[in-house]
Amino acid sequence: MTQMAPPRQRAVRALNRDTVMETGLVDPSWLSARREEAWETYLRTPLPSTRSEEWRYTDIARMLPLEGIVPNSVDAADGAGGARAVPEGLRRAMDEDERSAGRVVEVDGRVVSAELEDALVAKGVVLDSLRAAARRGDPVVEALLATRAVPATDGKFAALNAALWSDGVFLRVPRGVLLDKPIRLSRWVSRPGTATFSRILIVADEMSQVSFVDEILSPDFESVTLANAAVELFSHRGAQVQYVSIQRMGRGGFYLANQRTLAKRDSTLDTLNVALGGSVGRVDLNARLLGPGANSDMLGLYFGDGDQHFDFNTSQDHVAADARSDLLYKGALDEAARGVFRGIIRVHEGAQRTDAYQTNRNLLLSDRAVATSLPNLEIEADDVRCSHGATVGQLDTEALFYLMSRGLDRAQAERVVVKGFLGEVLTRLPLGGVAEKVTRAIEAKLAVRG
Amino acid sequence: MNDRPILHVTGLRARVADEDSDILNGVDLAMRRGQIHAIMGPNGSGKSTLAKVIAGHPAYEATAGSVAFQGEDLLEMEPDERAQAGVFMAFQYPVAIPGVSIANFLRTALQARLEDGEELDLFDFQELLMERMELLDMEPSFAQRHVNDGFSGGEKKRNEILQMAVLKPALAVMDETDSGLDIDALRIVAHGVNTLKAENPDMSVLLITHYQRMLNYITPDVVHVMVKGRIVESGGPEVALGLEERGYEQYRRMQVA
Ligand SMILES: Nc1ncnc2c1ncn2[C@@H]1O[C@H](COP(=O)(O)OP(=O)(O)OP(=O)(O)O)[C@@H](O)[C@H]1O
Ligand SMILES: [Mg+2]
Repeated sequence: MTQMAPPRQRAVRALNRDTVMETGLVDPSWLSARREEAWETYLRTPLPSTRSEEWRYTDIARMLPLEGIVPNSVDAADGAGGARAVPEGLRRAMDEDERSAGRVVEVDGRVVSAELEDALVAKGVVLDSLRAAARRGDPVVEALLATRAVPATDGKFAALNAALWSDGVFLRVPRGVLLDKPIRLSRWVSRPGTATFSRILIVADEMSQVSFVDEILSPDFESVTLANAAVELFSHRGAQVQYVSIQRMGRGGFYLANQRTLAKRDSTLDTLNVALGGSVGRVDLNARLLGPGANSDMLGLYFGDGDQHFDFNTSQDHVAADARSDLLYKGALDEAARGVFRGIIRVHEGAQRTDAYQTNRNLLLSDRAVATSLPNLEIEADDVRCSHGATVGQLDTEALFYLMSRGLDRAQAERVVVKGFLGEVLTRLPLGGVAEKVTRAIEAKLAVRG
Repeated sequence: MNDRPILHVTGLRARVADEDSDILNGVDLAMRRGQIHAIMGPNGSGKSTLAKVIAGHPAYEATAGSVAFQGEDLLEMEPDERAQAGVFMAFQYPVAIPGVSIANFLRTALQARLEDGEELDLFDFQELLMERMELLDMEPSFAQRHVNDGFSGGEKKRNEILQMAVLKPALAVMDETDSGLDIDALRIVAHGVNTLKAENPDMSVLLITHYQRMLNYITPDVVHVMVKGRIVESGGPEVALGLEERGYEQYRRMQVA
């Protein structure tokens, strides 16, 4: 067992301007200014209400009382990058991983280590604490942080994150550099009743290739504990980027992410969102296809039980002609779990020869579980191939009988069907051990089914 | 000699649960251990219903009669208990299980047959699977395909036989496994069944078929004719030959009488 140092005595922070100012003290002036501006935006932006289409099924004001929540932010005295032991729960999850090209560990919104293979360092790959990179004055960070992908103006939580983010990851892959193994970010939240704001900024230069696995875990919490993430992904001409988010927080965890992918000409920018843990998970994902030949596979997998609530709000913006996006989100919902999928394909004017697909499939394992699926299309070009579809179904009794007739008992048969159903998503993104890890996590959840 | 039938169906009536008329109207059938019986009969006469009642499909309920397997009351058992006891049904319409490979599925099915705490030896399993696939002239890659997902009619039937060959049942109910198979596949499947039979002479087979062709390869001890939910004639292989010539008209008239 590792012993953790008790947190330093200090005045309890709150979500207010003082905290924003204090957080920005150690930052370069462009960044503290950006924080202050974001805070103003936050104040101006109303809290999303269920009257708005996008938040209709997730009553965030009720589920996430922001008063009293304590931000985990980093001031000068915290010092980014200080050595700190890796919590046991996180260590176990990391031990399950296959090999990585680089690895970042973040605890309570603070990067405690960032390691990258020497060969990649030599090739100019940058993998670092985002805060450290900003303080160092990295021009790419200054240009792209909370500006083009997830700016403060994106919504209440995007603004809050831009004002209060404590740390995160900056990854830049130079032109033509290919990574044969993924970079992994392992995040842990330990303090109940806190809010963690972190960011990921990934820039893949022309013809480069990188995959990134972002996993977040926590223990169970008695009080609502927020982990908020802003994920900004840029793929330049011909680059290939894969981003995977695996959310395995404990109960009481509230995961809220804004992700945006910007794919330029002939680049591939794929995402996979896996939601297994936490009490509430909400992901807003906007994929922008900015150049001809751009391609985004957008995958999602969720498996809820108890009273878990997962909400995905996706959009596929075809700005350029001749691009492709293909979305598949599949979810299984047991007990009183709730799943919401709301997706839109927007084909902008002039985006001819767009190929855009969107599929959401839900499997209800209990009659108390609810799935809501709202696929949508908005097309302003005439020569396009688009399709969208949604299904909500129950376990197929013929399939269960088939399996049982081979000797599997009912519970085993159900597990096989659910695993197969969700597994289809994982086969679409073969990536260093991700499928195996997620499958094990699904199996663990299935094993405790009542 | 053990005279107790391996399968003993008496006066069986069955219907789709919640419907108000029976599909099976009093079926009597006794199979001795190691025998091969064929059931022939017109479309809709209840052959698959009988097979599914034997296997325990939850959509059907027996309203009268009994089904005993090695003296045990099958109707009281769950489908998986029947499978574990040695009953296997090759489906007329096999069901797709998306995302689940044949290899994984069979591994799970064999594991389910072991005592709690016992682990299937993966090496032995792999060996058995490969050997069975070779027997049935299948490409090894077939085992990686998802169960019946996107399979052709013939592939589905061969997959049923593969499962049967791996699970080694005491009683195999084969519901039109020959339908949809080309001539070569039919020969391979028949060879597979005969090999299993040679390995285990005690294995009993209830073969539902529309075609004499199948019976040229797998010789039945008894042929039954089922019409309107009843067995109207039983006899040797000559019964099937008679059907080939005259069809079912004779029995239909007989039913009316
Ligand atoms: N699940 C069901 N729901 C409604 N009707 C059913 C069901 N199963 C069987 N039946 C009816 O019962 C009768 C017998 O069907 P069954 O499938 O047993 O016939 P069969 O002899 O196997 O025919 P075939 O040779 O065409 O396969 C048919 O009229 C069929 O429509
Ligand atoms: Mg039939």
